[in-house]
Amino acid sequence: MMNNSAHVLPRDKGAAPLDFVIAVMAFLAALALGASLIADRAAAGWQSGLAAKLTVQVLPPETGDANAGLQAQIQAALDVLNATPGIAHAELISDTDTQALVEPWIGKNNLVSEIPLPRLIDATIVPGEEVDVAALTQKLKQAAPSALVDDHSRWIGRLGALAGAVRYSAYAILLLIAGATAAAVSFATRAGLSAHHEMVELLHQMGALPSFIARTVEWHYFISALMAALAGTLVAAVLFLGASGLESFGVEAVPFLPPLSLKWTEIPWLLAVPAATAAIAWATARISVLSVVKAIY
Amino acid sequence: MVRFENVGMRYDAGPEVLRDVTFVLEAGSFTFLTGLSGAGKTTLLKLIYLAEPPSRGLITLFGRDLATAKRTALPALRRRIGVVFQDFRLLDHLSAFDNVALPLRLAGKRVSDYARDVEELLSWVGLGDRMNSAPPTLSGGEQQRVAIARAVVARPDLLIADEPTGNVDPEMGARLIRLFSELNRLGTTVLIATHDRTLIETARAREMRLVDGRLVELRASAA
Repeated sequence: MMNNSAHVLPRDKGAAPLDFVIAVMAFLAALALGASLIADRAAAGWQSGLAAKLTVQVLPPETGDANAGLQAQIQAALDVLNATPGIAHAELISDTDTQALVEPWIGKNNLVSEIPLPRLIDATIVPGEEVDVAALTQKLKQAAPSALVDDHSRWIGRLGALAGAVRYSAYAILLLIAGATAAAVSFATRAGLSAHHEMVELLHQMGALPSFIARTVEWHYFISALMAALAGTLVAAVLFLGASGLESFGVEAVPFLPPLSLKWTEIPWLLAVPAATAAIAWATARISVLSVVKAIY
Repeated sequence: MVRFENVGMRYDAGPEVLRDVTFVLEAGSFTFLTGLSGAGKTTLLKLIYLAEPPSRGLITLFGRDLATAKRTALPALRRRIGVVFQDFRLLDHLSAFDNVALPLRLAGKRVSDYARDVEELLSWVGLGDRMNSAPPTLSGGEQQRVAIARAVVARPDLLIADEPTGNVDPEMGARLIRLFSELNRLGTTVLIATHDRTLIETARAREMRLVDGRLVELRASAA
């Protein structure tokens, strides 16, 4: 005996392959979504790290006493930097660190100490403040003509473009997966309705509204898709958490790339995958049923 | 209640199954539709219970011209019609109770409102002890009675039955006709397609006969 509008049509016994397809789709969608979250976080980290710094390069003067000239220009540049609003402090990178920077190219020998190397000044910007780079460049040019300012804007721009590319690629993948899921559910719904065509026709004949017939089908697909997508997403979440576990033991999943793990606070974002999948399945099933019923007189 | 004017019907590019059919079923009338197999009885019934649109002619149902009625208006008209299909068309995955209750569920009623009516009706047709059985486990006669109970449970304005006593013994046949007569007495218009001469003679109702797709009035007087 029934007390609601469910189960007027029988459940498809052959729906397991669809559930598997949906689970795989959800797994891939969760991976794409997780990748976009990781890319966003990594790009934001790099950008904030670079944006908080300025590098000033002071080249040795080409004429006169190179060392004395260089020291004078370094001091002048340091004075300008320390007097610039928004700069927390400026620090000359030591001789040893400078030589260490060029060591991979020149090697470790006496030659390094004899070459007049440019010197680098690392300036830290007060968090939340901005430095007028154009004005600073102008001032430095007057105080230390051979000083060059690098505010990392080129790198920040490139990193932003990289993060955008990863994010939009992930969106494109999510869209493709959503389309494929809708197509699979549409195919399964129509196949199911075709198998139960006589029953659908009977309900229609008895005066059932198209929305009633749709309701008998759509919730079945909603629940099935939700469960299958939850399973797929769970596997993806376990992978991300597993990567996090490995990283905490010092294992680097992919060298040079940022950690492939999601934070606990980011895991709930993955729940958007089963929610969206179930919504897509529900809407697709409903549209399919309504179009089939519409074709009957 | 039902008016046909010069109605013709053909399936796709085939020959005309019904030709210039014209008749009126008055509200509260009781009519038999007879004719040899292939004469077009089932097609005529399909046109009345809105399973097919006619190829030509005019059909008026419950005062609505079907040619101008919107599609969205048809479900409400269909719910006013109870149909006993020749092949029963029960839902095999539902119990006898749930099959009979289906029109009431479609009308939006709750199980607590209709459970007693459904149980009483199933008892009346002799299936009080088979309420929870699925149709495949019932005999042909039992399935036919479930189909009849489903058609009458919502007290339709129009009852259409295609060979409703074909699978039951004469005693149960007479009992079912009493059920139809009782419904008719309460105001339901009844149209029964049958070959059963005994049934027709017992009820002494109006008889329309189809011969090669044309309608012939054999007996106009109601019982």
